[in-house]
Amino acid sequence: MKTIIEKLNSKYNLQEIVYQRDNLVFAAINKENAIDAVTYLRDYEGFSHFVLMSCVDWIEDGKFQLLYLLNNPTLKSDLGLKVYIDRNNPEMVSAHHLWKQIWTYQRELKEAFGINFPGSPRVDENFVVEGWTDIPHMRRDFDTHEYAQKTYFPRGDRKTNDPAEYMRKKLYPNQPITAKQRKDDK
Amino acid sequence: MNLTDILTPFTAWAGVFKEPVTIKDPLNREAAPRYRGFHHNDVAVCIGCGSCEAICENQAIDLVPVEGIATKDGDSGLRPSIDYGRCCWCALCVDICTTDSLRLTNAYTWVDTDGDNFIFTPGVDAKPWDEKQEGWRKPQNGYEFYAKERQHMSELHAEHRIDSFIEFVKGYSKEQAQKEADRCVSCGICTATCPAHMGIPQYIKAIRNDDMEEGMRVLYETNPLPEICGRICTHKCEDVCSVGHSGDPLSIRWLKRYIADQIPSDTTKYKEILGTSNIDKNSKKVAIVGSGPSGLSAAHYLALLGYSVTIFESLPEAGGMMRYGIPEYRLPYDQIDKDINYILSLGVEIKYNVKVGKDITLEQLHNDFDAVFAGTGLHLGRSTRVPGSDNKHVYQSVDLLRDIVLGKEIPTEKRIVVIGGGNVAMDITRSMARLQMKKYGQVNIITTSLEDEETMPADREEVVEAREEGCTIIPGFGPQEIMIQDGKVTGLRVWKCLSIFDENRAFNPKFDQNDEQIFEGDMVIESIGQGMDLSYLSEETKSKIEFNNRGRVVTNADFQVQGLPWLFMGGDIIQGPDVIHGIANGHIVAQAIDKMLFEK
Repeated sequence: MKTIIEKLNSKYNLQEIVYQRDNLVFAAINKENAIDAVTYLRDYEGFSHFVLMSCVDWIEDGKFQLLYLLNNPTLKSDLGLKVYIDRNNPEMVSAHHLWKQIWTYQRELKEAFGINFPGSPRVDENFVVEGWTDIPHMRRDFDTHEYAQKTYFPRGDRKTNDPAEYMRKKLYPNQPITAKQRKDDK
Repeated sequence: MNLTDILTPFTAWAGVFKEPVTIKDPLNREAAPRYRGFHHNDVAVCIGCGSCEAICENQAIDLVPVEGIATKDGDSGLRPSIDYGRCCWCALCVDICTTDSLRLTNAYTWVDTDGDNFIFTPGVDAKPWDEKQEGWRKPQNGYEFYAKERQHMSELHAEHRIDSFIEFVKGYSKEQAQKEADRCVSCGICTATCPAHMGIPQYIKAIRNDDMEEGMRVLYETNPLPEICGRICTHKCEDVCSVGHSGDPLSIRWLKRYIADQIPSDTTKYKEILGTSNIDKNSKKVAIVGSGPSGLSAAHYLALLGYSVTIFESLPEAGGMMRYGIPEYRLPYDQIDKDINYILSLGVEIKYNVKVGKDITLEQLHNDFDAVFAGTGLHLGRSTRVPGSDNKHVYQSVDLLRDIVLGKEIPTEKRIVVIGGGNVAMDITRSMARLQMKKYGQVNIITTSLEDEETMPADREEVVEAREEGCTIIPGFGPQEIMIQDGKVTGLRVWKCLSIFDENRAFNPKFDQNDEQIFEGDMVIESIGQGMDLSYLSEETKSKIEFNNRGRVVTNADFQVQGLPWLFMGGDIIQGPDVIHGIANGHIVAQAIDKMLFEK
């Protein structure tokens, strides 16, 4: 693995290389070189199996991080290539021509994060949610709770208690309390 | 066509005798050992902190009362009930669980014809999977949602603090305070246990938001002495902290100090933040006897309600035991003044060096004011009364601690023996150690208590710090005689203490006379508890009120004295002894006086 990473590094100038285990390595690569590197790994280094593709929303840094996880069955080793793309311009070169299942991953990422992969077959079709009108639901600025509140109805017979408030009423109902509690009581 | 092509169809028959890969009964298939299936809760371990409910993205969890589980200190008495119409079995509730009581079993089938039945209280409503041990449990070893260890508090090293009374606990930096505040799960279990019922999760939240002014407002809702409490509170809240069930409890006291420390000592600024620049005054007057925590707390809340408050203090400065009992290295005077100056800025007046009962009578106060509150504290030392304890080189810790503050000459001998195992005993031990260091360049002090190492009433940190400073603490011995030769103290003779209380739980220490030791010393300080001085109560007043079997005045829940409705009593003479109970008492008294005079 080490030799492969060193070779890859000299070719593409990797960053953030992490040797997680003997048979699992992660590294970041420039957006421009990413698909070239994946192709190289498939065709010349034996990473013939595409494991998965995923995304992390680094909202504070204004970036999406794509991950291409490849497997080399001969070495029984995995290599994860991380690619940072601009969150305000979420577009990446499609890799659908390398493995057919990438179609589906890219379609999922389009729906969940709003990342476009121009030219990827059926990329604009619904993946799991139909008729979605809100911002992509896996983006961190999507408020799941708020969405659920306005979209679904609560069960009528449910009732909950705030522990601190419940303890006050049970243990010291007449003692001085905060202004907020006084207001709530009224 | 070659031979392989002919034989291949027949090789398939070899599989006929192999074990089939398909599962005959897929409905009863056992899930993986770490599968996230249905919930189980060990309700005897759960404290109903509600972290599971708070973290649940799907709002699937409610906290409900459960029959047979009582609400008490450290346990809300509530338990999580889960709506499987909403749950997605993500296990966040398990991952945040502060007591590790909640887990997911690997059971995953539950058949019912009524959809509304899929709501239950795990561990209370019996389920077939209750005994299953496989499933998902809270991850450990660094995968917890909050740090298990508290932020370290920097202190001056013993060798740098032993020769002066300088404050040695340095306080948190912003980074430390925010990291510590991040550990809080905001459950609020602590609020019930705090005698003043402070809004602890709310002020910790203010630290997370870096909003010190909001933090101050939360503090002053229930506690007008935050600089003081932020340093020396007995922090009972930390004993019940839910995070403490599996890790260190939050450093609640140090976080409180952090907030108060960030606000400059400027009463105008305080008033601006707390919205107390303009208070509508009423015509009523209240007299307070003693400017300790209960008196100052009552004065503060009465002043906010518009009353004219006058405090009568027998000593030259305000603060009571906080100033005259707690050493400066734990509670610097400027911090006491910071809290008190703000209370004075609200219009509270203090008459210093006025001893009620001597310079002015309680009855006089009754005539001149609409109500009177007495929070006079425990300022009398108690003697062991063992032979020799009447020698003039035998001292009371409270007297010496007070004299240190008053700047009097303190008798400091080369070898000192202290009797007592409480916080006051540690205070006098460490104070005398400092004086010895200044005078002789070395510490030679032995402190002994009836209680053994485990049951000593002093805070653990006090004992540890005293030892760091070179003091010798020898718990588990009972004083038999203070040895005197030619009128001078030579030491303390002790026996090993076997037990302190008898079968009726009465104080009745038993000793092993064969295990005798002599602790050599040139002076002995007794620090075995304090008594109250109620000499300001005239015989006539005493005849009207009731005393309980411990000699304490009987009051109602509002600290109103039974038999004398104009008189309220609180603080150490009624409850405690500690600062936070005094503060809580003062707050209750202020509201009770307001109620009484308003209803009049």
